[in-house]
Amino acid sequence: MRRSGLNSASLVLSLLLLWSDWTLAAGALEGVSGRQAVNPIAIGMFLLFVVLTLGVTWWASKTTKSSSTFYNAGGQISGAQNGLAIAGDFMSAASFLGITGLMYVGGFDGLILSLGAFGAWPVFMFLFAKRVRNLGNFTFIDVISQRLDRDPIRLVTAFATILIVIMYLIAQMVGAGTLIQLLFGLPYEWALLLVSGLVLTYVAFGGMLATTWVQIIKAGLLLTGVTLIAALLLADSGFSFSNLLGKATANHTNGEGILRAGSIFNDPVQILTIQVSMLFGTVGLPHILMRLFTVPDMRQAKLSAYYASLFIGYFYIALLVLGFGSIAYVAGNPEFFNEQGKLIGGSNMAAIHVATAMGGDILTGFMSAVCFATILAVVAGLTLSGAAAISHDVYAEVLKKGKPDPKTELRLTRISVFLIGFAAVSLGIAFQHENIAFIATIPMVVSASVTFPILFLSLFWKDFTTRGAMYGAGVGLISSVVLIVLGPQVWVSLLGNAEALFPYDYPALFTMPASVAVMVWVSLSDRSDRGAVDRANYLRLLVRSEFGPSETELAES
Amino acid sequence: MTDATIEAVHRKTRQRLMFTAIHLMLYFSFTLNWTRWGESLGGYLGETWLTGSLLMFVLLIVAFVALETIFLMISRWGAR
Repeated sequence: MRRSGLNSASLVLSLLLLWSDWTLAAGALEGVSGRQAVNPIAIGMFLLFVVLTLGVTWWASKTTKSSSTFYNAGGQISGAQNGLAIAGDFMSAASFLGITGLMYVGGFDGLILSLGAFGAWPVFMFLFAKRVRNLGNFTFIDVISQRLDRDPIRLVTAFATILIVIMYLIAQMVGAGTLIQLLFGLPYEWALLLVSGLVLTYVAFGGMLATTWVQIIKAGLLLTGVTLIAALLLADSGFSFSNLLGKATANHTNGEGILRAGSIFNDPVQILTIQVSMLFGTVGLPHILMRLFTVPDMRQAKLSAYYASLFIGYFYIALLVLGFGSIAYVAGNPEFFNEQGKLIGGSNMAAIHVATAMGGDILTGFMSAVCFATILAVVAGLTLSGAAAISHDVYAEVLKKGKPDPKTELRLTRISVFLIGFAAVSLGIAFQHENIAFIATIPMVVSASVTFPILFLSLFWKDFTTRGAMYGAGVGLISSVVLIVLGPQVWVSLLGNAEALFPYDYPALFTMPASVAVMVWVSLSDRSDRGAVDRANYLRLLVRSEFGPSETELAES
Repeated sequence: MTDATIEAVHRKTRQRLMFTAIHLMLYFSFTLNWTRWGESLGGYLGETWLTGSLLMFVLLIVAFVALETIFLMISRWGAR
């Protein structure tokens, strides 16, 4: 009875809700039935994690005395450490719970999310890792403002960054509240306050150094957990993945259909919309790009991206085993279903249930604590990125023209952290009972349609100008919001209309080319003096982006 | 800035774009699974429960990592 009543449309919606860090928010909206019994092992392990990370924060706070160390940990993180931290920033609870849950529902089709998420990392390394590291200091906005007119471009991209961060945070907080409610039995509001309180402590006192180590510890725990579950699943299937697949097909109403495409999707354009949004959206995420400045040089930046790929690739291959394992060991097991015959906690909890099936209370407690740790690590990275956009990009670089009082800047950074934390909790509570699917969509689509094209064209196209960037960003931003509103998530699910005016949930396949086309067209027709300066800046910055600053530039800096 | 420096940067730019293009071709080829041109991917491999689609997923992840490894090695040789 697992799939009864789920038609294609609702499956697609749940897929899109399940995607990435905002996945858990979906639990608040649909499919949640019942909650986990309170697990003392989970609480004990979570408290251990908190003590450990607060210790790290205390240590980090002793070295975080300036804006520089606050934003980029003094640039002293190694490539391998940063790769693991990037993986920790990216491998969310949603990846673990959401992708496993989607595979539980539809088998192979769930893998589109894994490949979509993983596919971004090679592009990140080929195009951005070295060049962004060589040109910037603290945020990706530093990179583009070296070539384009700094004040307008900083304001536009800082606005896009704050929009992405706030939308991302709302989805995270609603998801966090729901998940913690399910796993630990804590009231929603208390869960948000707990998450926010811990994140504010990490970020406000430990800055990027503490955030990095929280992400490293969390990534290590998550990789250990999925490895354990995958190993136990394979061991129970005679160390044969084929046997595991055989058990899964016998347990699923779609039978052998789960081993090939088509259980959930039948429209290749829908697949393309997801792939484009996930790949280009991920590559343009400000909090991920910010991590490139935590390493000492360009070589370590490239290695960061490479190690991140290795860890994330391994994680998604392990999820392949967990996804089919959840069908083989959870489906049909009455232990995991309530009186109404529904999976306890909904399909998002399939990963936790498979941990229970394989490792009992100990593994369940461990994975529950890891999920909580995961939320903290992702929210910390987002909060830091939002605070840097306000205090560094807007205050220090625009208002103070790059010459701020260091103490005032650091104080403002910490105030920004608290403001973002307050906004996250307030909005998380305000949106608790709302359909937030469209809010979760905005960051990826805006990132793919605004930040990615601006960064890419400023690094790779000689004729790119400030005017082109501004018009293109406007088109990317407005078209993204308009098409999301006209799409199924808002037009049908939120506003109650019978049919969407735009058929796809994720419009980046259309908005990104539109944004790029406007950037190219306006730049080519730009005859302004500023346009000439932007073009003249290209070659010097191109050489610097590839070989690093010259000795003269280093001496001047 | 010498001509040789600029030519070296352009060569590296072409290299970056070429690797990205190869990667994107591989990445978007996954869509074939949902089209009639990719129907054969749904078939089983020998006597196992593994399908071509599942194998494609794993091979794509391995191919992406291999592509990155080659890119890093070429960059290192170039630096020498």
